Amino acid sequence: MIPLSWYLIFAAALFSIGLFGVLARKNAVAILLGVELMLNAVNVNLVAFWRYRAPNMIAGQAFAIMIFAVAAAEVAVGLSLFISIYRRRKTVVANEIDLMKW
Amino acid sequence: MINFSLQEANPMLAPEYIPLAILFILATALGFLVVIIGNLFGPRRPSIRKAMPYESGMRPIGVGTRRTPVRFYLTAMLFILFDVEVIFFLPWAVVFRELGLSGLIEMGLFLLILLIGFIYAWKKGALEWE
Amino acid sequence: MFVPFDSTMLLAILPEILLVVLAGVVLALDAAWQPEKRRWLGWLTVVGLAVAFILTATVSQPESEPRLLFGGMLRDDWLSFAFRLVFLFGAAITTLFAMDHEALGRKGEFYVLLLVSTLGMNLMASAGDLIMLYLAIETTSIPLYILAGFITTDDKSTEAGFKYLLFGAMTSAVMLYGFSLLYGFSGETNLYLLAGKLGELPMPALLGSLLLVLVGFSFKVSAVPFHFWAPDVYEGAPTPVAGFLSTASKAAGFAVLMRVLLAAFPAALPSWQGLIALLAVVTMTVGNLLALAQTNVKRLLAFSSIAHAGYILIGVVAVNAAGMNLGMASVVFYLIAYLLTNLAAFGAVATFGRVSGSDEMDAYKGLSRRSPALALVMLVAFLSLSGMPPFGGFIAKVFVFAAAVEANWIWLAVIGVLNSIIGLYYYLTLLKYVYLYRQDNLEEEQKPLPISRPYALALVLLVIGIILLGTAFNPWFEWSRTAAASLF
Repeated sequence: MIPLSWYLIFAAALFSIGLFGVLARKNAVAILLGVELMLNAVNVNLVAFWRYRAPNMIAGQAFAIMIFAVAAAEVAVGLSLFISIYRRRKTVVANEIDLMKW
Repeated sequence: MINFSLQEANPMLAPEYIPLAILFILATALGFLVVIIGNLFGPRRPSIRKAMPYESGMRPIGVGTRRTPVRFYLTAMLFILFDVEVIFFLPWAVVFRELGLSGLIEMGLFLLILLIGFIYAWKKGALEWE
Repeated sequence: MFVPFDSTMLLAILPEILLVVLAGVVLALDAAWQPEKRRWLGWLTVVGLAVAFILTATVSQPESEPRLLFGGMLRDDWLSFAFRLVFLFGAAITTLFAMDHEALGRKGEFYVLLLVSTLGMNLMASAGDLIMLYLAIETTSIPLYILAGFITTDDKSTEAGFKYLLFGAMTSAVMLYGFSLLYGFSGETNLYLLAGKLGELPMPALLGSLLLVLVGFSFKVSAVPFHFWAPDVYEGAPTPVAGFLSTASKAAGFAVLMRVLLAAFPAALPSWQGLIALLAVVTMTVGNLLALAQTNVKRLLAFSSIAHAGYILIGVVAVNAAGMNLGMASVVFYLIAYLLTNLAAFGAVATFGRVSGSDEMDAYKGLSRRSPALALVMLVAFLSLSGMPPFGGFIAKVFVFAAAVEANWIWLAVIGVLNSIIGLYYYLTLLKYVYLYRQDNLEEEQKPLPISRPYALALVLLVIGIILLGTAFNPWFEWSRTAAASLF
């Protein structure tokens, strides 16, 4: 039997990789990929917690399903925003998009 | 405090999964084996034509990293949006009988909202290829 | 506490049902109508929102005892009722501001996205479950990302949408990780059931998940470590959208913050009070100091809205475990006053920007001669923002600081007052441009500044509201008190 902590460590590692990607990568698509990794880490967490902590209540699984759907919507919106910015500037690199800064 | 262990038997260790594990190991091993044998015994006569990217035996046309028309992107995005909704149908289908009529009505409303979005996309010409 | 399904539950979500229907109708008509007919979509949205507002206020009042509906997903209480009315009002005003905007007014999508975002805010204010809360936050945010980047032919607008999306996606993922930990620690997703289980947890685990969750909420209310998006997004986004972002979206963030902190984390009350107090001090100070250096009015308002988030956080700190006190009521009151005031400020900027095409402070020189009415609106809005009597902003600030003093956070109230003085400086600077300075080129001043009918209607409503809140504040405050008391 795999202990719960393994799943949690795996999810934490996945989350950290995702967060690192978000903070370190400059390309907007790569940043969005990092966010997806973070969301998947959350899903691993939720399903593992559901199985080990509250297998009778469906909440954890339902939560994971919602996250899938929302993540798809977020990516669709994100990519269309990237395309609209690419059309005007020919770049989606985050630190080249700096028309406004203080 | 939190109990980090589960007392039930682990279904993944059940005996009926052992053939699956064997198959998985064999498939991986075979893949490696073929590559290794080919490298050890095969003749090696490199030429420019052989080093070219393989494009169904034809001479490659243009560069590999061509831009894809944005139309593909629109179609793909519509596909994703109308595809992900299935994720809500699956759990609904599992408890369809318990939910009864009210579940059916709720799913009907869900579909109606999606349908309005679909009609909108259609009317705005998102489904036209040109 | 949980109630089984019956038809009165549908009555409790009447505003949400009406919003969905309205959004569907607008979307269908947008597809069906010819472009020249689409300018009526704006009026349709306003009338629909007004009807929803009246029906909500009369028919779907909550019962005296708070209830958890739909398996605990929603909580039907006076707090959610009050916030729903606030959001419906804010959306209606935003629609009025957008109607004559050349890039927004005839786009059905704009109104649909606005309505869906309002729906998400309504659900945020009444969410009683982590799943619902996440869903509501994303339903609010995703349309707002598109709205911020709505003008695809404008470099600044697309940049605003881009930055808002990247920041929002990241912070919501961090918040979600916190949610998953809360679920794991307690085995529950319902906020009110969670509280009982979390009390047994060791403090580090509790505070760790609280911190993760706070990242997402700080982003929504633009509190300081997560405020970087605000100036760029407010400057780049279409002005009506920026107004909506800075008021309704922020109010929704505070509704969620209050509910989660009080419903799910009563066990850690002293710790999170200290944390939020720190957040409040940093947010106020950074917002106000950076606002001093701004020359663009939308950016100035962005930093001012960060500072206001700080003042509101003071009210959040000033709760006590006993329940009934000034703190929460002052937050609700502040949010209402702030919504009216800041919408008026952004509305005036939108009116001005539509004609002059500029949001720079220099362009505002001599405004009082070009349009005395608009200058008067700006005077009311900015004096109320700075906390001058007899306007709503003054009473709101008094209540928040009084709540802090009552709860023995006197040093926090002192810092708040000092910050208000800094705020006064930059608000008066802008008013100086409006009233005292003249354009170098005097012909510029002869140009008329027409205010179209929807703008005039919205601005008059807002100014009346600000003055009412500042003079006849008693009924409003009692209302806030009822709403805040239902949180427990």
